[in-house]
Amino acid sequence: MGYIGDKDKEYLKGEFDKYLKEKVLLLVFTGPNCQYCNVATAIAQEVAELHDAIEFHEYPVDSEEAKKYGVEHAPTVVITDGDKFGGRIRYVGLPSGYEFSSMIEDIIDVSRRTAEVSEEVRAQLEQIDKPVRIQVFVTPTCPYCPRAVRTAHRFAILNENITGEMIEAIEFPEWANKWNVMSVPHIVINEDVQFIGAYPDEQYIQYVIEAWKKAQ
Amino acid sequence: MEVGFVLPSASRESREVDVVIIGAGPAGLSAGIYAIRAGLSAIIVDKGNAGGLAEEAPFVENYLGFEGIKGEELAKLFKEHAMKYVEISERNEVRDIVREGDRFLVKAEKGEYRAKAIIFATGTTHRKLNVPGENELFGKGVSYCVTCDGYFFRGKKVAVIGGGNSGAIAAIYLKDIGVEPVVIEYMPKYMCEKAYVDIINEKGIEYITNAMVTEIKGSDKVEAVVYKDRDTGETKEIKVDGVFIYVGLIPMSDLAKKIGVETDKRGYIKVSPKMRTNVPMVYAAGDVTGVAGQIIIAAGQGAMAALTAYEDLMLRQA
Repeated sequence: MGYIGDKDKEYLKGEFDKYLKEKVLLLVFTGPNCQYCNVATAIAQEVAELHDAIEFHEYPVDSEEAKKYGVEHAPTVVITDGDKFGGRIRYVGLPSGYEFSSMIEDIIDVSRRTAEVSEEVRAQLEQIDKPVRIQVFVTPTCPYCPRAVRTAHRFAILNENITGEMIEAIEFPEWANKWNVMSVPHIVINEDVQFIGAYPDEQYIQYVIEAWKKAQ
Repeated sequence: MEVGFVLPSASRESREVDVVIIGAGPAGLSAGIYAIRAGLSAIIVDKGNAGGLAEEAPFVENYLGFEGIKGEELAKLFKEHAMKYVEISERNEVRDIVREGDRFLVKAEKGEYRAKAIIFATGTTHRKLNVPGENELFGKGVSYCVTCDGYFFRGKKVAVIGGGNSGAIAAIYLKDIGVEPVVIEYMPKYMCEKAYVDIINEKGIEYITNAMVTEIKGSDKVEAVVYKDRDTGETKEIKVDGVFIYVGLIPMSDLAKKIGVETDKRGYIKVSPKMRTNVPMVYAAGDVTGVAGQIIIAAGQGAMAALTAYEDLMLRQA
């Protein structure tokens, strides 16, 4: 028996048929003593089975592939074209609950090799010429979190210097504690600039720009 | 941890429709189903997820046909039902609405929608308490969403400010996930339904009445909540690690106001019994009308708004 219900699968298949274009790699990095690794693998596998354009691979978190994609934690789910997106669009911890929908939207955007932002935000994104890492701490029961995760991922799709990383705060409590995460979404950029809440792109980008400027 | 799946729904194309429904909570989703079934073309646009504030309700026990269901699950059922009929564009915030002759141009993040009618099902957001410490300690123990942040306080004590239905449900949810809540209510009596009073008593949740919260204290994070006992005038302090604020809602009616829709002095959109606003071909439904803040009423109002829009559009064509 699978994790994703038949009705949900049917719906997702329809969406994928409509929107998927280029090949998408759905990579799951797993390791020992990892409570949710099996689930992450199973979910990714089930999603990949729904469409030919999605290719699933599982790698150990201590493998060469993990190094190549910059992955250090298990489970991590990476959505990529295997090339210019690298490991920049990722989920550390299980993309379940509300984050499942973020993962599906990411698959579609990565397959389209683009994402929607306004012209104004696109122009601001274009100036970012140094690495910026956006970490978004979430809980799976937070309805506001996917918006913050998707913004980070859309920015990462549109700019090669940006990494967008969801972190499931309950699965990684020490990591969450390091940044005193007590309300989600809690966003940490370049381990420096922080804010809490699901802001519109125009406000979100200001924090990203601030972090980028500080890195100059 | 439970593994749930929330499906995305992402419309990407601009288009012309009979009616744009802004907000995908119970009112908007119900309006969408009724609009399409009546024969109108429609799209629902929401800045966040479909489901609205219902998603945040830890559980719902008064929606007909469901003895008890998590708000998140009920919202998912609503959404999946609506998706069978109508396109729902999530994470697509409406930025502006302008008039173009007898049409409205609804400008959203992901596209522009030209419509003959608009239904505002924009709902409400959490009201702030406006005491010292609230803004300073937001995200450092102060929160407005138990389903989002409750887990961070397992094994700890928190205050739930506001003892109405939302506050009561929040406290019960917290208790269930291993947090020790104390409810602080301004009025001198229980302000929630009797059904919740019973659970609060049964679970041994402390519910302080006639108490006015005056400050949330803490340096890096919440350490205590201070209140004035309205009986005695005495100031008291409770040591807590977190504060969840449930002191009411504020309507999200700014966009509606911008196109001339009348609101009451609190900002709730004024509607006729058939959900018409003062602006022709503009309707409102759900919590933004300030009627009751109940899922079942929002759904009913959404249905009514769509039926009235249909009636008006048909009459206009005739």
